[in-house]
Amino acid sequence: MNLSLSLLSDQFLLNFSYLWLIVIATTIGIIIGAMPGFGSANTIIMLLPFTLAVDVEVAMIFMVSLFVASHMGGGITSILLNIPGNGGSAATCLDGYPMARKGLGQQALVLSFVASTVGGMVTALMSIFLLPYIARLAFYMHSVEMVVILLFGITLIASVASDNMLKGLIAGFLGLLIGAIGADHIYSTPRGTFGFIELYDGVPLIAVLIGVFAISEALIMMESSSVLSDTGKQMMRQSGWKETWEGVVWSFQRTWHMIWTGIIGLIIGIVPGAGASIAAFVAYQQSRLYSKTPEKYGTGIPEGVIAPESANNGCASGDLIPLLVIGVPGGTTAAVMLIVMTYHGVQLGPRLFIQNPGIGYGVFITMLIAYAVMLFTTLPLTRWVSKLVLIPTPVLAPIIIAFTLVGAFAPRGYMFDLWLTLLFGAIGYVCRRTGFNVVALLIGVILGPMLEANVMRALRISGNDPWVFFSSPVGNILWAALAVSLAIPSIVQWRRNRAAARTATA
Amino acid sequence: MTIMLDRRHVLMAGAGALAASLARPARAAGDFPDKPIQVLIPTGEGGGVDQAARAFNRIWSKYLGANFEYSYFPGASGQVGYEVFISKRPADAYNILFGNIGPEMIMYATQKVKYKYQEDFTYIGSMDIDDSVIWVGSSSKFKTIQELVEEGKKREITLSTSRLPHPSTIGALALAEATGMKVRMIPYGGGGPARSAAITGEVDGCATFLSSSLGLGDQARFLTVFNDTNRAPELTNNAPPVNQALGTKIPQMSGQRAIAIHTKAVEAYPDRVKKLTDSFKQVFADPEYKTVAEKAGTPWEFIQYGDAASCQESAKEFVELADRFRSLLTATK
Repeated sequence: MNLSLSLLSDQFLLNFSYLWLIVIATTIGIIIGAMPGFGSANTIIMLLPFTLAVDVEVAMIFMVSLFVASHMGGGITSILLNIPGNGGSAATCLDGYPMARKGLGQQALVLSFVASTVGGMVTALMSIFLLPYIARLAFYMHSVEMVVILLFGITLIASVASDNMLKGLIAGFLGLLIGAIGADHIYSTPRGTFGFIELYDGVPLIAVLIGVFAISEALIMMESSSVLSDTGKQMMRQSGWKETWEGVVWSFQRTWHMIWTGIIGLIIGIVPGAGASIAAFVAYQQSRLYSKTPEKYGTGIPEGVIAPESANNGCASGDLIPLLVIGVPGGTTAAVMLIVMTYHGVQLGPRLFIQNPGIGYGVFITMLIAYAVMLFTTLPLTRWVSKLVLIPTPVLAPIIIAFTLVGAFAPRGYMFDLWLTLLFGAIGYVCRRTGFNVVALLIGVILGPMLEANVMRALRISGNDPWVFFSSPVGNILWAALAVSLAIPSIVQWRRNRAAARTATA
Repeated sequence: MTIMLDRRHVLMAGAGALAASLARPARAAGDFPDKPIQVLIPTGEGGGVDQAARAFNRIWSKYLGANFEYSYFPGASGQVGYEVFISKRPADAYNILFGNIGPEMIMYATQKVKYKYQEDFTYIGSMDIDDSVIWVGSSSKFKTIQELVEEGKKREITLSTSRLPHPSTIGALALAEATGMKVRMIPYGGGGPARSAAITGEVDGCATFLSSSLGLGDQARFLTVFNDTNRAPELTNNAPPVNQALGTKIPQMSGQRAIAIHTKAVEAYPDRVKKLTDSFKQVFADPEYKTVAEKAGTPWEFIQYGDAASCQESAKEFVELADRFRSLLTATK
């Protein structure tokens, strides 16, 4: 894997000559990213004849641009409408939407775009220069390590539930329960499917995502005439270029934050099978943990938008690493890319960097350029896109319901999924009205099945020896980090109380 | 290039595309096929079967005189796809299922399904034979299958597999039964994670189909092939056939990608079925098929035509094998 500058500059030039294609692909990517139910994998399959008809470099540029843009687009509706475009942007709702409601929608969008760009670019650059080394990370991340990483994400249930711990935990538990529906991971015995063949592979995430977020949010919207508060409306009407600039300044005041949460995304992305939703939730949890003001998370603060957005774009770089280096795709989109590449006769895996290093490194060059292009195309748009929230809710809500229901049907083409989505819409509405946290529920649904699969796998490999979870050095380091992350908030609280007591007695 | 869209994609592409497909000029009635053939794939889009089916159908459409539209119903090792096909698709020979006889008949035999083989569906032709193999990662200490078996007599060997109901799982279990080695199969729910686990050393090795592992290059060291001959020796570091290496009598463990149609359609429309099977067979003589099949990742050595009778025989063999290893493949003790 010798890296030569001439190779990199060749790739830069190649990508520049296809700039028009990158613009088209990123535009499509952002749009599908923002639409719940339409993923980049689906879109590439839809455009399969195109990708097979063109040169392999062109196909790769197109697919990579579309893929990274879909990660960036997911945040738009999370922020403006509280509706995540995909699992990776669900965590962005936590602070993005409160910002939008306060009339800071434009700044929040800028934060999300800049964080996505910085997270994506930094990790793409790291990938170029450290590829052989970071690829080794996958060799240390097995089921046991995944269990601990997933637990990091799951502890977020407790954080988002901090307003009302009991209700939050119940919601999280309900999520885990819903996530456990479907065939078990070893023997494929169906559980809780009520005989519905449509549930054999588990509850489809899109139905839950659209139901508990989009449908229930639309129902809530209909109860008031506007998404915004009165002051928010005032601010939004007046917002102009100044607010765009403000968002840029806020982002770069938190440059280090963008970088390290991006790196979390990269590392999680490298683990085969772990995706952007885990990356975003874990990054949000870590960001909150090391914050001086963890209690402000969830109220609409810039850090809460930056962490998940930077991480899910860092994850995009990470996802491609196992595909390129060992020839095993890290996620669905990567799997589809693998097919297109094989069809073109390109061997992914270690031989790629010997036979066709241009493609191997070109992927990351394309990412760098795609992000730069997106920043220039999206930043000016924030000013107008953010005005979406000014649309009166009696108009907005039915549009949301109609659009997202199409999105619920599209991935699998089952009518069943529509009913399921409506059912989850009702569950989400009841949860919101009664103060049960829907994000806690979603975390359970997303992370639960993965946790279960990894626990069962680790146990089966070890011959049902529970000590397997403490048998690996990397795993043990992660356990220690998890313990620290759980203890820190209590210690901080204890010290604050003590300090407060001292000042009181002084 | 034919642009192929399935129903969902038509939906995504918008009403315009839908209108266009409805406005297709009708040909003389009775001239089969006078509309596109609906292909149901019981695994995910872009998977091995999808790739092979698309490559095959590109050539098949020339001889059949019809285009193909795809839909995907993955889940429960193919069970979802078969149930949808049998219960929701009309038995008119315009609806075909592209599946994989080995894994799907083992699934049929080990899971509770709502359909019956041969009463509800019939395989009418197969297009390739993909042998099961056992391979280890390049950093593994095992160089030969004998070494793995010897170690397996001292401790339980872990082998990753995409799912338990799979010919390669049965192959490994039969190998263990024949040699006295101990083996524990670890299902990863997909070929990708299963391969990754063996490469990164989480498990001792991987039991899977040969073609899906060919792209791994030097990272995979093939130890044995579950067939009488190794049909791709240069691609598999000349791994020996299992019976030749160990003197066992393990039957051939292969996947056969094949098309199935409703048994009712076979009875009701013999002329349509004849058109399907005749044109299906013609594809194999077309030199262009070699090019597209190899592009789709199937070595030409694996391409082999099988008629309805040979498909039926193979399906029955797998049901018997699955019955023999039922307790190890399911949660029943």
